[in-house]
Amino acid sequence: MVAAPGHRRSRHVLTSVSLALCASLALTACASDTGGSTPGGSESNGTSPGDTAASSGDRPFEGQELSALLITSHEGAANWLKAEFEEQTGATVKLTIVPYDEIGATLALDQQSGANTIDVAAPWYVSIGDLAAGGSIQDLTDWIDAESESLDIDDFIPAIYDPYTLVDGRRYGLPFDGDTHVLFYNTEVLAKSGITEPPATWDEYLEQVEKITAEQSGDGVYGAAIFGQKSPLILGAAYANRLAGFGGEFVDAQGRPTINSPQAVAAAQSLVDVIAHAFPTPAETDFGVGNGAWYDARVGFIENWTDLGVGSETNPDSKVVGSWGVTTLPVGGDQTTSRASLVAGFTWVIAANTTKDDLAKEFIAFASSSEVNSGLIVADPQTGIDPNRISALESGPYGTQYPDLQRVNRATLDGALAWPTGENASAAAQVLTDELAKLIAGEGGTAQETLDRVQAEWETLLGS
Amino acid sequence: MCRPSGRRSLAPSSATAVRPRRSLRISSRHQAWAHRALVAPSALAVLVLGAYPLAFLLAASISKSSLGAPFQAWVGTDNFETVLADADVVASLWRTAGYAVAVSVASVILGVASALALHRGTRSGSIVRTVLLLPLILPPVVVGTLWKLVFNPGGGLLATVLGAVGIDASGVAPLSSTTWALPAIGLADVWEWTPLVTLLVFAALLSQDDEVREAAQLDGAHGWALFRSITLPSIAGVVVAAFLIRLIIALKAFDLVFMMTSGGPGQSSTLTSYVIYQVALKEFDVGRAAAITLVLAVVVTLVTLPVVALTRRVQRDG
Repeated sequence: MVAAPGHRRSRHVLTSVSLALCASLALTACASDTGGSTPGGSESNGTSPGDTAASSGDRPFEGQELSALLITSHEGAANWLKAEFEEQTGATVKLTIVPYDEIGATLALDQQSGANTIDVAAPWYVSIGDLAAGGSIQDLTDWIDAESESLDIDDFIPAIYDPYTLVDGRRYGLPFDGDTHVLFYNTEVLAKSGITEPPATWDEYLEQVEKITAEQSGDGVYGAAIFGQKSPLILGAAYANRLAGFGGEFVDAQGRPTINSPQAVAAAQSLVDVIAHAFPTPAETDFGVGNGAWYDARVGFIENWTDLGVGSETNPDSKVVGSWGVTTLPVGGDQTTSRASLVAGFTWVIAANTTKDDLAKEFIAFASSSEVNSGLIVADPQTGIDPNRISALESGPYGTQYPDLQRVNRATLDGALAWPTGENASAAAQVLTDELAKLIAGEGGTAQETLDRVQAEWETLLGS
Repeated sequence: MCRPSGRRSLAPSSATAVRPRRSLRISSRHQAWAHRALVAPSALAVLVLGAYPLAFLLAASISKSSLGAPFQAWVGTDNFETVLADADVVASLWRTAGYAVAVSVASVILGVASALALHRGTRSGSIVRTVLLLPLILPPVVVGTLWKLVFNPGGGLLATVLGAVGIDASGVAPLSSTTWALPAIGLADVWEWTPLVTLLVFAALLSQDDEVREAAQLDGAHGWALFRSITLPSIAGVVVAAFLIRLIIALKAFDLVFMMTSGGPGQSSTLTSYVIYQVALKEFDVGRAAAITLVLAVVVTLVTLPVVALTRRVQRDG
């Protein structure tokens, strides 16, 4: 059958349009290869950040965008990282900032829903087991093993590196924020009550807090601000400090719960004892309230992250400039040396469904590097980041600007108390926090009864 | 009714009779499709907004489901057994029911009273009406923040007022008290939602027959007698319906707890909605959260059923 001229013409037009479409699709594919993916493609998982950069010129990720999820306390650090990374790589970093207790859920929902808007995130290290079990983050073991030299793994503080990254023998991230608590004290408040030395034990701490509150509460000054709000990162942190001080552990070497040990009970009792003499409304005392009381010079003591020292000097609202000191956490029971408590550390992870593997790896390698950690811990304005690298902890500028912080932070080098991090660790942390909240509110019975209940639940959650 | 007359008029020729029948069939088919097209959005909305979440919830409640990986394994009634054996969850259900009834009763009493007051001042009360509705317009998060500031012992409104009358307010911290935290949240809740009741009752009062009221007044009915015998019966249906709406809102209370106390001190202000949030989003256990949600749904049904029955009875009697 011979086609009519009109049909021939339409067929010609159709063919031309199809060819044009094919050509544009091919071009689009090429464009997305160069712009949307990675120079090495998705197979280049073993490529080191440095190699990737070298093979693709000075700005290898020019035109690409990376979406990073962080918490509000890290907003300063996030902006610092964004500026530096964009300058170095040409990539654009899009920041999403969420409250500290929502980052894990935000990442999990983003990945599970298929939205996949997040490429990298810095969640609380306790949640990485649950995020891994839920398939929300990537297993980075092979990449980290292959790149251990370029990532300078040996420079991570050992007490931080494993708890922050390791779950059941696999590694899911790189440490970002060391986040150990130390004990800050207001020298003027202590002096007013005739206290010349900060406490070495939790018993001495209680005595000093009682004394300050008894003598100065009429002026609105209290012995201590205790973080008592019902959140694992707040009340859980206050308890973890004491658990570390009394030499207790959340779980034993095999991962079995030991939360009703004599040390754990003593730690809980120590917390209950001080609540009565602390800054009013401990149940409402979160970071904002507690830190506000500290900056306002209304408390003698506060347990906090080491970067509070930076804030005490640089925060425009600070009334404690030059009138504070810092020491390691007190000890109790048979424990004679101070232990750091990894209460709220954060880890860089890569979202499971990101299509920008190489860019994501480049970013977390950069953000967890020794140079970046050294820069962030002395940055002004304060970034909220604590040392997680040995070289950063021992760096000259940190030692020069904040010698006391450097001294107390060295406690992390001798081992530190870490929360459990496997599957159900988030639930375990919440269970402990709920029970502690009942205990300090007078609803939970004795410290022993409280922790017996926690132990029973933890054995179900974490295994006995 | 149309069809028989149509048939009669088309009867004379078989050829002409066929064509209209076909056109009728086509037209009725078009009508059927039109009906389907018109109903489709509603049906889709019911499916998407009602049936799908319910099916998801049911499936999640009988499965091991985490936030990142739902439906990992079917576990039967394990989640329900865990939930019902959890003293904190059971306590939160009782607490939620008691809280909801208390704040709903308070809202209705205050709402009816303020609606009556507004009704009397209809001619001069436009500004007052606007101001009274303000809490309803505010986002719940703002309401929570506002009342948290009111109860702040360090310079909040309550402490300031108490200080002004010579009372030492340094120890007055309702949100840190296991006794007063929930009533304090309830106060904020009543403040926020009473205007809704006011609005509904005020509308009912406006639709009242003035002649009946005037006749009763001429017969000597005034004050409480007038309200009880004339006004209340005429607005009873709306009052009960407002109570039902208020009850359902209160049973779902979450934002104020989240903003003001995080459920503390201890568990004293933990309502079930907050437990669900905590289990799902902080503990990542979607299966257990779904089971709690379904148990809460049963409690909501049990609490609201008598009110629904009362609403029907009042409306029937009215």
